[in-house]
Amino acid sequence: MNLQVLMLSGIVVMLLLVVVVQSFQLRRGAKQRIQASAAPTPVRVSEPTAVELESKLKAAYEAKIGEATVTFGTDLQATSTRLSEQVSRLTTTVIEEELEAYQKTLEEVRHVAIQAMEQIHQAVEHQRVELRDGMEVELAAEKKLLADKFDAKMGDVVSSYISESLGSGVDLGAQMQFILTSLEAHKEEIRKDLLNGV
Amino acid sequence: MASKAFQLPPAVYSPALVESVIYDIQFYLDWVRQNQIRKTVGAKVKEEPTHSAETVIVIQTWLAGKPASVESLEALLLTLRGLKLPEVHIMLAALPNQTQREVLVNWFRTNVSPSLLLSFVADRNLGGGLVVRTPNRVFDYTWKQQLIAGRTKLAEILKRV
Repeated sequence: MNLQVLMLSGIVVMLLLVVVVQSFQLRRGAKQRIQASAAPTPVRVSEPTAVELESKLKAAYEAKIGEATVTFGTDLQATSTRLSEQVSRLTTTVIEEELEAYQKTLEEVRHVAIQAMEQIHQAVEHQRVELRDGMEVELAAEKKLLADKFDAKMGDVVSSYISESLGSGVDLGAQMQFILTSLEAHKEEIRKDLLNGV
Repeated sequence: MASKAFQLPPAVYSPALVESVIYDIQFYLDWVRQNQIRKTVGAKVKEEPTHSAETVIVIQTWLAGKPASVESLEALLLTLRGLKLPEVHIMLAALPNQTQREVLVNWFRTNVSPSLLLSFVADRNLGGGLVVRTPNRVFDYTWKQQLIAGRTKLAEILKRV
């Protein structure tokens, strides 16, 4: 029994020792890894390799620069073309719109001017007609006045001539029939006037 | 004697004749009154004044056969003075004689109004015809007026010649 206990105790002690050693080794390894990651070690390149790398890098850089320049030039050309087209289209549209507005305004002005001209023409025509009518009326009145004056003068001349010719040789007896006929013809007129006057 | 019924005889046709008749009757009335006084006091009676034919006709028409009295003559005077008769003025180429005047007066009193006074004026420049002037209007029926009114005929005749 004691032996068995001893053996088992010895095994346990041995196992403990193994665990402690293993733990120590693991801790040291972790510490080394931490130290290695905190301070990288510089890469050392040889001179010829560096020259070669530099020349390759320069060539690649120049190639990239050239490529980018070409691409940029192409893009710029396209952009310029598009911009020109846009400007041209925009300019054309604006000019067309302005021209259209100008034509519309011009048309309106022309319409107004035509209307004004028509009104003026109508007014002038109306004035002309009125003037002509007025002148015709005045002319007719003047003509009638002159004719009446002439007739009156002529009537006066003739009647005066007849009166003068008759002179003192008036025979009232011969006129009585004419006088009575005249009175008979205007009997009602005289009677009406007298009766209204009384 | 109603003044309304009184009509002036045709002989008294003008305002001047009416005035003359009134004057005559007034003169006669004065004579009658003076003679009455003279008779009362025994003075010499004056000779009766003469009357115009028109006055006699008017008095006879007024009395209508009744005897004359101062009162009736005064009433006649009042009636004559109160007359408001329409007047018509006739202008002729010469003054009418009595016959022509009577014809005209009769015509007016028959056809226009029985109570009407006419006065006649002469103007030889009329040539012929007459002008009737009422209070409101002038009716020109003279030859001169007819010649003037027919002046268009004169113009037509002149054109035809």
